[in-house]
Amino acid sequence: MSFTGAVKTYGAVRALDGIDLEIMPGETVALLGRNGAGKSTSISLLLGLREPDEGTVELYGTPPERAVRAGRVGAMLQETRAVPRVTVRELVSFVAGRYPEPMPVARALELAGITELAGRRVDRLSGGQTQRVRFAVALTGNPSLLVLDEPTAALDVEARHAFWNAMRTYARQGHTVLFSTHYLEEADAYADRIVVIDRGRIVADGTGEQLRRSAGGNLVSIDLAGRGTEGLTLLPGVRSLEVRGGRALLRTDDSDATVIALAELGAIRGLEVAPASLDDAFLALTAHERETV
Amino acid sequence: MVDYLRLEVRRTLRDAGFVIGGIAVPVMMYLLFTNIGGDGGTGWKTASMVGMAAYGAVGSALNTGGGVAEDRAIGWLRQLRVTPMTPRQVVAGRALTGSVTVLPAIVAVLAAGGLVNGVRLAAWQWAAIALLLWLGSIPFTLLGLGNGYRLTAQTTGVANLVCNLGLAVLGGLWFPVDLFPGWLRELSAYTPTRRFAQLGTAVADGHAPALAAILVLAAWLAAFGSYAVLSYRRSAATI
Repeated sequence: MSFTGAVKTYGAVRALDGIDLEIMPGETVALLGRNGAGKSTSISLLLGLREPDEGTVELYGTPPERAVRAGRVGAMLQETRAVPRVTVRELVSFVAGRYPEPMPVARALELAGITELAGRRVDRLSGGQTQRVRFAVALTGNPSLLVLDEPTAALDVEARHAFWNAMRTYARQGHTVLFSTHYLEEADAYADRIVVIDRGRIVADGTGEQLRRSAGGNLVSIDLAGRGTEGLTLLPGVRSLEVRGGRALLRTDDSDATVIALAELGAIRGLEVAPASLDDAFLALTAHERETV
Repeated sequence: MVDYLRLEVRRTLRDAGFVIGGIAVPVMMYLLFTNIGGDGGTGWKTASMVGMAAYGAVGSALNTGGGVAEDRAIGWLRQLRVTPMTPRQVVAGRALTGSVTVLPAIVAVLAAGGLVNGVRLAAWQWAAIALLLWLGSIPFTLLGLGNGYRLTAQTTGVANLVCNLGLAVLGGLWFPVDLFPGWLRELSAYTPTRRFAQLGTAVADGHAPALAAILVLAAWLAAFGSYAVLSYRRSAATI
């Protein structure tokens, strides 16, 4: 699966601004970004629902549409509502029947955790239940690539947990899974690889650990205790400064040098050194305007 | 595609709005119009039977478009696009659904005519009327699809209702065109509904439909067909 220089504009908005991405069979990849970063646009290009204005998108070496026709793709789309006046079993069986090598419908219902809802009408289920039906619809065709656009948006904690377990089970059978999310913990916990997308561009690509490291090692913080922040950004190693609740938070590539320099300034009240969290990494990667405070 | 047809027909028949508006209402209107205020004789009972069956068929045919608009709105058509089904199969399946779901209305009104109002026709006439009304409803299915692919779910409902009532009244499906003033009668001759009903009334009178009826209907078929294709093309990019 590959994107090569993919650009997509909607009117004046450049939703995707040149995306290059390659995903290998068997990978579980998270597409991480804020709302409006370009996740859903990427997914609609990948599924052949939209055409890129520039560049190319290929699935298994063919245009996405052809891979979809061949039954190699299953997808859980965002912004779809329950199909009225069908039962869960009718709906899932129908979709399974479109694919060349579907899994048994009972298996799909079981994986999605909706076996006991099989006879219920889809339009009479709760939001979370509907979401699981959509998951069953996506995977019942036994596709080699499963694409999930914000799959856990309507789920409560327990359902979310069950959902990711099912996703993992499916991924372990050698299937490729691509999911989009704006939850860092989900991306970190369930993907082999995280692709961070921001304002239509890929700003980072790697494991959670790599992202944490690339975002600039550690976070050194001190109590300002009334003093100003002047000069702090000039200290060795410091990449950015943020003031939060009377504390200065310094993101630094070299925490030792930063701490020594702080000590020379006598600014060590309440000194703390902590590894950057993935949250910090994400903020550092996507919020450039905030870094230049 | 048979599976798709089966699924969509099932969904349509579970729609209470469709069952009441598309089947029960034409039957009730037929029985009311022919039995209240002194009956108009066998001639009117037969003509109104064909007219109301046609009205029911038009309503059901247009309803297909309402289904399409709904499916677009909820994202079901988009979901189908990420299955191996081709867009062509989806459209064809929808059109076929339309042609299946007109049958209950036609059969129900004809049954009310034969069983309740005592309309007597030869067996071949019953069969020919049902068949012609069935085939003749195709332009209306296309009109409904055109609306459904072009408009939002709400406006499709309104557009279908306006088309249905307007064409039904203008085409003389409710009241005989003989009651119309001259100019309206002339206008009525060009409506698809008038010509559609004539397919059935001609057979009930024991002769083949007039060539003019078939030609006018064919022209509407072409017009509504083009409308459906244009609407579909326009919406395809946004489904």
